[in-house]
Amino acid sequence: MSVVNYGTREITCKIVYYGPGRSGKTTNLQHVYSKLPEERKGKMVSLATETDRTLFFDFLPLDLGTISGFATRFQLYTVPGQVYYAATRKLVLQGVDGVVFVADSQSRQMAENIESLQDLHANLADESLDPRSIPLVMQYNKRDLPKSEICSIEELDETLNFRGVPHFSATAVTGGGVFETLRSISTLVLSRLSAPATKV
Amino acid sequence: MAKETREQGQDGGEFAEFLADVSQEIALRVESLQPAATVPTPERKKTPIAADGGAITEWPSIADRMIEEMR
Repeated sequence: MSVVNYGTREITCKIVYYGPGRSGKTTNLQHVYSKLPEERKGKMVSLATETDRTLFFDFLPLDLGTISGFATRFQLYTVPGQVYYAATRKLVLQGVDGVVFVADSQSRQMAENIESLQDLHANLADESLDPRSIPLVMQYNKRDLPKSEICSIEELDETLNFRGVPHFSATAVTGGGVFETLRSISTLVLSRLSAPATKV
Repeated sequence: MAKETREQGQDGGEFAEFLADVSQEIALRVESLQPAATVPTPERKKTPIAADGGAITEWPSIADRMIEEMR
């Protein structure tokens, strides 16, 4: 859980990009990484197979520097979307502060979106996190594809966004909507920051 | 609540904008979230050194000091 630590003057938040395989989670992180100023560029850890599928997870530490006197760090993770990596997804979700659900806008991928969303809910519940209240943002990716191949935003929202959380259309491959999504989830996570009781 | 999507290359300062937003939010939160202070523990008198060669005679005070030091 994200905490304002007044003792060490640190704020750390963990954000996980969740969604079906090939929906664009890794592409989101790659775009964020490409826009980081050199002095803030750490290492983006990405474990992929020979066909560029995320094997384990991606990890991008975002060191935002000192803000209001606090060393601020965001940790961005992706999960492997393929169904058979269920254990990894559970592991990555541990201690999560906010989730970006990256949905594939293609009509033929709707079933995968729904399955992944259900998987997210089940895994959050397993972690004793309430899927109805955890900070969540929906991203409808691949909006650059021909209209005949993709669902409308309204359709995606009606099917996937039953909580009515903020949603963003995106073309992660060109960077469209990536930072808007990150800003939104960050704000949601930070609005829930809590301070531990400390001795005087 | 649909948001407009920014096309690539429209803004080279995407990270800067993001950082500005995050900074603003943190400033707000840090101000409103002062750490919950606990009541300071009153300073206890140290157990006086006994005149009889340092033998411990005040067990309740020793226990208090041990508990306080362990906090």
